[in-house]
Amino acid sequence: MESAFRRGAREGMRAFLPISVGLMPWAMVTGIAMRSIGLSELEAMGMSLLVFAATAQLGTLPLIASGAPLWLIFVTGLVLNLRFVIFSAAIAPAFHEHSIARRLASSYLLTDGVFAAVSERLRTSDDPQWRWGCYLAPSLYGWLIWQVCVLIGVLGAGAVPRDWSLEFMATIALMVMLVPMVRTRPMLLAALVGGLGAVLLRDLPLRLGGVVAIALGIAAGFVAEHWQERRAAR
Amino acid sequence: MIEGVWLWITLAALSLTTMLTRGSFILIGEKGRLPPLVQRALRYAPAAALAALIVPDLLLDHGQLQPFNPKLVAGLVIVAIALRTRNPWLPFILGMGVLIALRKGLGW
Repeated sequence: MESAFRRGAREGMRAFLPISVGLMPWAMVTGIAMRSIGLSELEAMGMSLLVFAATAQLGTLPLIASGAPLWLIFVTGLVLNLRFVIFSAAIAPAFHEHSIARRLASSYLLTDGVFAAVSERLRTSDDPQWRWGCYLAPSLYGWLIWQVCVLIGVLGAGAVPRDWSLEFMATIALMVMLVPMVRTRPMLLAALVGGLGAVLLRDLPLRLGGVVAIALGIAAGFVAEHWQERRAAR
Repeated sequence: MIEGVWLWITLAALSLTTMLTRGSFILIGEKGRLPPLVQRALRYAPAAALAALIVPDLLLDHGQLQPFNPKLVAGLVIVAIALRTRNPWLPFILGMGVLIALRKGLGW
């Protein structure tokens, strides 16, 4: 009889594999970007292992390059990572029965891709071991792919022509994640409000526009869902 | 450029932002349980967050609104591909191909 952990792990991997390929170019781009501001190979890999958050890394690199004060770099990193508070809240019930060590590991490993792939599955399962497998397997696999591809980017940074706009690959990776997610009208509305909101609110101080836009998008999706249900009930 | 020990202190501080945000509710445990209504609302978080990162890159050029640009065209191509196939490399190859062709080939 196969253990619940293994069954969970298989289910998590099946959900995550299709989007995991999208991590590769993104990780390579992050590796190249860190080298391009003048970090050594060791410093770039240190950043990748310690921070393990591409958006926060890419967003703070210009500040590190220009010698900005530590508090500003810290606040910028915090704001760029703020969406994870929302993810953390959504996924936390899956880990209530687990030890503090496991919860620390889960926190470090929480990424957009794995969250997008398994959060719905974690919410609907009541077996803690199944959930742990379903989260841990794709997270560790994603972490490994990520670090290996960052290393490739760090080592190969000199070889790619600068004018190829490789940074656009990051946006492509995000789009590949988003498209299959937008299957219902409320979800589409949440994405539209989040996306256009971020454009319209871009001049808010401290890059807060993005966070506000995400909150508005969530609210729009939720209200739309509520509305849809009320209309269906009538 | 921040260098040496200060760079590592900076990286440690950034590492802290990762743990503080990702760990916020996971580490609090039982007491941090959210009401079901809020949890339902949070299902919209990933889509809203991804779009908030994507759309500005497609519509803005150096902080200015630029509704007609090569990135937006490439973006539409990528959506069309992602809707039709699950091949993980195709969006990258064709998306980058369109962008580079428009930029270098047509000088857009």
